[in-house]
Amino acid sequence: MNTRSVARYEGILKVTGDARYEGEIVPDGTLHATLIESPVACGELLSLDTSRTAAFPGFAVMVSHADAASLKPSAATALIREKAIHFHGQPVALVAAGTLAEAREAARAIQVATTTRPAVTDIGQAAGSAYTPAMVGRFPAVTRRGDSSKALSEAELVIRNRYTTGVNNHHPMEPHAVVCWWEGSRAVVHTSTQAIFGTRAIIAHAFDIPATDVRVLARFLGGGFGCKGQLWWPWMFWAMLASRKANRPVRLELSRAQMFTLVGRRQQTEQDLTLGFVAGRLTAIEHDVVAQTSTHAEFSDSTAVYTRLLYACPNVSTRHQLVPTNEPHPIPMRAPGTAPGTFALESAMDEAAELIGIDPLELRMRNFADQDQETGRPWSSNSLLECYRAGAERFGWAHRHARSATKVGRWKIGSGMATTLYPAIRQACRARVSLRVDGSLLVQCGTQDMGSGTYTALGQIAADALGVPMEKVTVELGDTLLPDGPFSGGSQVTASILPAVEVATSKLRATLASIAVADATSPLGGKPPQDLELRDETIRSRTSNAGEPLVDVLARAAPDGLEAEGESPATNHQELAATGMGYGAIFVEIGVDPELGEIRVRRVCGAFAAGRIVNPLLARGQYIGGLVGGIGMALHEETVTDRPTGCIIGKSLTDYLVPVHADMPEFDIIMIEETDPHLPGGVKGIGMLGTAGIQAAIANAVYDAIGKRVRKLPIRIEDCL
Amino acid sequence: MSTHTNTDAAGSRNAGNPIVEQRIALAMTINGERYDLKVMPTATLLDVIRDELGLTGAKKGCDMGGCGACTVLVAGRRIASCLALAASFSEADVTTIEGVGSADRLHPMQAAFMRHDALQCGYCTPGQILSAIALLSENPRSIEEIREGMSGNLCRCGAYTNIIAAIAEVAGR
Repeated sequence: MNTRSVARYEGILKVTGDARYEGEIVPDGTLHATLIESPVACGELLSLDTSRTAAFPGFAVMVSHADAASLKPSAATALIREKAIHFHGQPVALVAAGTLAEAREAARAIQVATTTRPAVTDIGQAAGSAYTPAMVGRFPAVTRRGDSSKALSEAELVIRNRYTTGVNNHHPMEPHAVVCWWEGSRAVVHTSTQAIFGTRAIIAHAFDIPATDVRVLARFLGGGFGCKGQLWWPWMFWAMLASRKANRPVRLELSRAQMFTLVGRRQQTEQDLTLGFVAGRLTAIEHDVVAQTSTHAEFSDSTAVYTRLLYACPNVSTRHQLVPTNEPHPIPMRAPGTAPGTFALESAMDEAAELIGIDPLELRMRNFADQDQETGRPWSSNSLLECYRAGAERFGWAHRHARSATKVGRWKIGSGMATTLYPAIRQACRARVSLRVDGSLLVQCGTQDMGSGTYTALGQIAADALGVPMEKVTVELGDTLLPDGPFSGGSQVTASILPAVEVATSKLRATLASIAVADATSPLGGKPPQDLELRDETIRSRTSNAGEPLVDVLARAAPDGLEAEGESPATNHQELAATGMGYGAIFVEIGVDPELGEIRVRRVCGAFAAGRIVNPLLARGQYIGGLVGGIGMALHEETVTDRPTGCIIGKSLTDYLVPVHADMPEFDIIMIEETDPHLPGGVKGIGMLGTAGIQAAIANAVYDAIGKRVRKLPIRIEDCL
Repeated sequence: MSTHTNTDAAGSRNAGNPIVEQRIALAMTINGERYDLKVMPTATLLDVIRDELGLTGAKKGCDMGGCGACTVLVAGRRIASCLALAASFSEADVTTIEGVGSADRLHPMQAAFMRHDALQCGYCTPGQILSAIALLSENPRSIEEIREGMSGNLCRCGAYTNIIAAIAEVAGR
């Protein structure tokens, strides 16, 4: 496969407005739904008085926990089957009517009665209820390697600090939507989900019907970033129940305000981090994380997990604890774990470098881990040192002090750097590739494109393998009628689909070669099949000038076209010979206005190593997009709870600050290509890699500029005064 | 010029509905076509063009004027159609993304967005393109002014750099 900057496959549909997102598929007779929200943060639903509703024009149906009782119990249905209220704004019912305006009017006429119990709305309020979960994702919550307390007592230098990160919300530009209907006992569900097959499985379970009776479609997604997953399912189920009850299609779209409460958040963390050094080498790390979860379910980011392996260190203890509060439930968000975790570790490394008196980049290079510290396995590939070197050179790191703390206009300049990392993982995947007799190609895989370029990558990999131009490629995804593809998350879609597509295209290549050589009338007749290659829509001999156009071979020997499926397995974490990890080094230059406390990111240089790059144009966009998300976490984004009521304050995009055009620095992206012999396809994820590390790099640059060490995110004006 | 109405879709659905009687009759031009409409007094321009006329290129990102995804042009000027009451746009000349260009005849701004890969998920893209077209008629004097002038259009995927590169190219900067 070649590395090639192919234009975005579906770009034309998006610039013309022709791309149809699933919430825009609205059949005749569709009912429009709205949710009634709890006015209290903790209590129980007593009653829903609908006596005034029936008279409302257009009102069709209401569903609540009583209707959801027909669903099979599971984690996905718990919240809508019971009367318990766990957080402010939790829906207690769904109302559907002829128009959205009518649904809202009818919903307003329903009297909601609840009990109220004292709510826990701050992790500090319930520190005593902190507990250790069994696992954080696929990792143990608590680990201990060597003896960190002994090593700390013997260290030359110990630094111990608390770092905190705030709550963030994902806020894809497209709010979650579902348009669903029933065809007898079969369900058709158009919904913005990052996982069509996961969604199909959970629907089949909840409604106790075969998965083959459920069709889920998500052909375009207006972003996701982690929130278009399981927390959406309860409200989607209510829409499906309403559709069954009314025997009409139902459409439910969340409001922007509901995107703060109903579909997850990046959890708040308090991280106590202690580092011990002898002669500039890490001898001990202790990383304790306390984070928020909800009162109805458990979730912990893998915040301290990467502290276990980023640097060489013999004595490491990590622990995750959770405090349940009456706030919305957390879920993975862009660079889950690595973003908050590297903020603490990479800030602390910067603090240590100053105390030791060496360059922070040199300190990191000195503590480079040449193998996986947890398992002792080698890295599948690791170009972190090359990232440091290339990034530092391009950024001008060695000369930064000529600028640091100098003033440019009203700005005091500062520079900082940090490391980022993300594991290379794959899911099981199937893909189908079909060559039609006219030489065009159809690539099908039941995955989704959140905007990350999956359409393009799928088409490009198949097109390259078969020597077909992109103009002749059709890609279909986002439909459970297609072969099972991976969910869109964890930066692993391209890595997962590539091996499956390569299996399918290898089969097609072998078939085409054997057809061509078997035909005595072909210029390729009698050639050894392994001598043939596909290039420029032609089957060619590598060793002679012989060749035949692909369409001629197909017309003669395969008039119905050719089709092949490929399958590839998920990463088997237990049996890996080597640990796959992508790395990067991020360098930033910022300006701080010391009078106003205002912070501007001026330049970002990111050097990343993530295996093979399929499409540099789209990869660059992914890295920059990740960095922009990281800037948001570092400087802008924070979801705040009103502690007395448990209500989220300012549930709008005018109150929740996100990076805008005017916040953009100059970006310089360096992609260091790796040949990874251990990873099938050689691809590592890139989306998450850009999103972590930059938070600490910015905090370190703030310190460089004005001498203030800010150990909390987001860093705001008031922190710089 | 053909004439369209919105009563076929919305009117029949609301037959016998007293709210229909409150609808206000007006006409406007959308993408060069004349529309005779009956709109609810509370309906936003976005809801009418998106839900009743099926022009879904304009997106509802926040419904509060905070994200720019619903940007349309009225007499060439950009507005947040989610904050605009449809009833106050009698005889207005509205342009949505569907009226800017088509796959075989892209507007230069659409072509530049393609060339620079100035999009990812695409949900903010129609608003970004319409906002950019209007911004250039406001004669921004520098890249900084373009950035400032585009800051009402949020992009959560973070395609900002490529968006500005596309606009700058069309602006000849």
